[in-house]
Amino acid sequence: MPRSIWKGAVSFGMISIPVKLFGATENKDIAFRQLHEECGSRLKQQRWCATCERTVEFSELTKGFEYAKEQHVVLTDEDFSKLPLPSKHTIELSAFVKAEEIDPVYYERSYYLEPEETGLKPFALLMDALKKKDLTAVAKVAIRNKEQLCALRPHNGRLMLETLFYPDEIRVLDTIDEPEIKITKKELQMAISLIDLMLDKFDPEKYEDEYRGALSQIIEAKLEGAEIAAVPAPKTGKVIDLMAALKASVDAAKDKSTGSPTPKRATRRRKAAAG
Amino acid sequence: MKPGLVAEVKFAEWTADGNLRAPVFMRLREDKPANQVRVVENERFVPEPADNDSLDYEIDSVLDQLESKKEGFILKVGAHKLSVSNLDKELWPAHGKRRALTKRDFLVYLARVGPYLLPHLRDRPLTLVRYPNGISGSHFYQKHIADKPPEYVDLVPLYSSHNDGDQEYVVCDNLATLLWLGQLADLELHTWYARTSPDPDGHHLFDTFTGSREQIEGSLLNYPDFIVIDLDPYIYSGKEKPGDEPELNKNAFAKTREVAFWLRDILDSLSLSSFVKTTGKTGLHIYVPIYRQLTSDQARAACETIGHFVLQAHPKDITMEWSVEKRTGKILFDHNQNVRGKTLASIYSPRAVPDAAVSMPIAWDDLSGVYPNDFTILTAPDRLDEIGDLWAGILEAKHDIASLLSAAD
Repeated sequence: MPRSIWKGAVSFGMISIPVKLFGATENKDIAFRQLHEECGSRLKQQRWCATCERTVEFSELTKGFEYAKEQHVVLTDEDFSKLPLPSKHTIELSAFVKAEEIDPVYYERSYYLEPEETGLKPFALLMDALKKKDLTAVAKVAIRNKEQLCALRPHNGRLMLETLFYPDEIRVLDTIDEPEIKITKKELQMAISLIDLMLDKFDPEKYEDEYRGALSQIIEAKLEGAEIAAVPAPKTGKVIDLMAALKASVDAAKDKSTGSPTPKRATRRRKAAAG
Repeated sequence: MKPGLVAEVKFAEWTADGNLRAPVFMRLREDKPANQVRVVENERFVPEPADNDSLDYEIDSVLDQLESKKEGFILKVGAHKLSVSNLDKELWPAHGKRRALTKRDFLVYLARVGPYLLPHLRDRPLTLVRYPNGISGSHFYQKHIADKPPEYVDLVPLYSSHNDGDQEYVVCDNLATLLWLGQLADLELHTWYARTSPDPDGHHLFDTFTGSREQIEGSLLNYPDFIVIDLDPYIYSGKEKPGDEPELNKNAFAKTREVAFWLRDILDSLSLSSFVKTTGKTGLHIYVPIYRQLTSDQARAACETIGHFVLQAHPKDITMEWSVEKRTGKILFDHNQNVRGKTLASIYSPRAVPDAAVSMPIAWDDLSGVYPNDFTILTAPDRLDEIGDLWAGILEAKHDIASLLSAAD
């Protein structure tokens, strides 16, 4: 059972449901430590003050906002304590919307909520109601000193909480004028046919991080003292891709050829077919 | 079952047992009543049967005449006469335990393999590689024939970009011409991949090859019968002098075979038939017979794409690089042979190498067990008499590459 990272309550209207928050995803990238090549020791990071020419302890730190190059305004703990954080321990549902109205670009991280013992019934009620109406709840939550917009939706029997970016954190909201590129009906049809060939159900189980797999193999082999063989390249099995590439290259070579030849018909002599 | 619906289907070919290979459903044809649909007799191209009895008779007679110890004489080939000379000249000096091979040996070889070799030379412009003083002497390539050859030698005039004008090329269509080439010490027979004959799949193309570049580009000679893959190992034996091409060696050939098998699998997956032969030197040639639907430029582009595909999967073993340093230790996948006017040594062509090896077709299943110098001008004729011409059906194994590619739409 993973440890909850947050405890509080979901509230809407008169109802308040005590819940715990868990991270729904984990990053499985293989992390490396930086070592000193000569002795193999792990490196330690130290905070170095260039003015006092000494290392600085954690307790001696304060926070500064760089408002201009090398110019800082200092904020103390007292300043921070004055900040309003109404959603500190509540997830206050403020609206119910259709999920498709939230563009995927807004989604930041995924968590899920579980009810505390005392909240089982209202929690189930909320889940059922959202499911029945096929709706997503929008709320605010404060996680790790940041007040975040979030969306709650039932998924596989769990209540998911996805943190959302604020609109001013998204760079691609403005629509731009699409450059005019001429695409013929035939080209489009070709692209659509290729897509149709590869039409599939989304099955994430089909995909895996091949780089990570290969990296773990190397690490395991090193641990066993075995010699590292080169990782075999993936077998060539993309027939459709090759066929499409062949077609593209053959078509391109057709355009390149200097002559769509226009030999005079009169010169045409055809030998009678054999037989 | 009573047929009711009519469908339009694209396919590569009929299989031997009457099924469709690589079928792709296109659409229903509601405009066609089912009772009007007929199976069209599968058009198969049967190469013109050589008049084997008379050819065998000619060959027997030529072999009898070559028994003569005379240095030169008038050789009768059927109704034709050919003056042969310097028959004791050593073309391949003694090598290992093998005696020196003379021009007489070379002519005997050509006569014996004639029935197997001639169908592959027919209708194809030829590049001669002449070694007047044998393989240790100087040699020169000859494409155009300036002097008037004997009357039985067929010439085809065609536009040559190099010369910006029309030139006469030799086409070897008969035994007398083959022996005439032998008399000229044309040790290697290099042929075009395109043919001058429109049969059976080139009737949509022009058969005028002269006058201009545009003219030849629209002609049969710009639409090859094959995509050719030239595999050339740059894995050195260690005995080469600096700057020399790699010599034949076991490691290099084993790796070349491996690459050839990868390519066969890729071509199989595209439903393309492939034919493999030793080059007689160090590498392998793979021929992919196709309908004459692609220009030489397109064939080259297709070959290059196949090359990049196999290279991507095996970057440590294969190279497509120009510089010899970057090729070293790898097998060169050479797509640049797919150019109009370029030639590869024909199957059964001898090679100007000390072991007098010849380019030999190999069944894919046998490829693992062969080595290039298994087949020489002394051993190849017996093998051919025993197993026949493995490539006899190569033009019948052609694929409708345009349909295959449009199935990728």
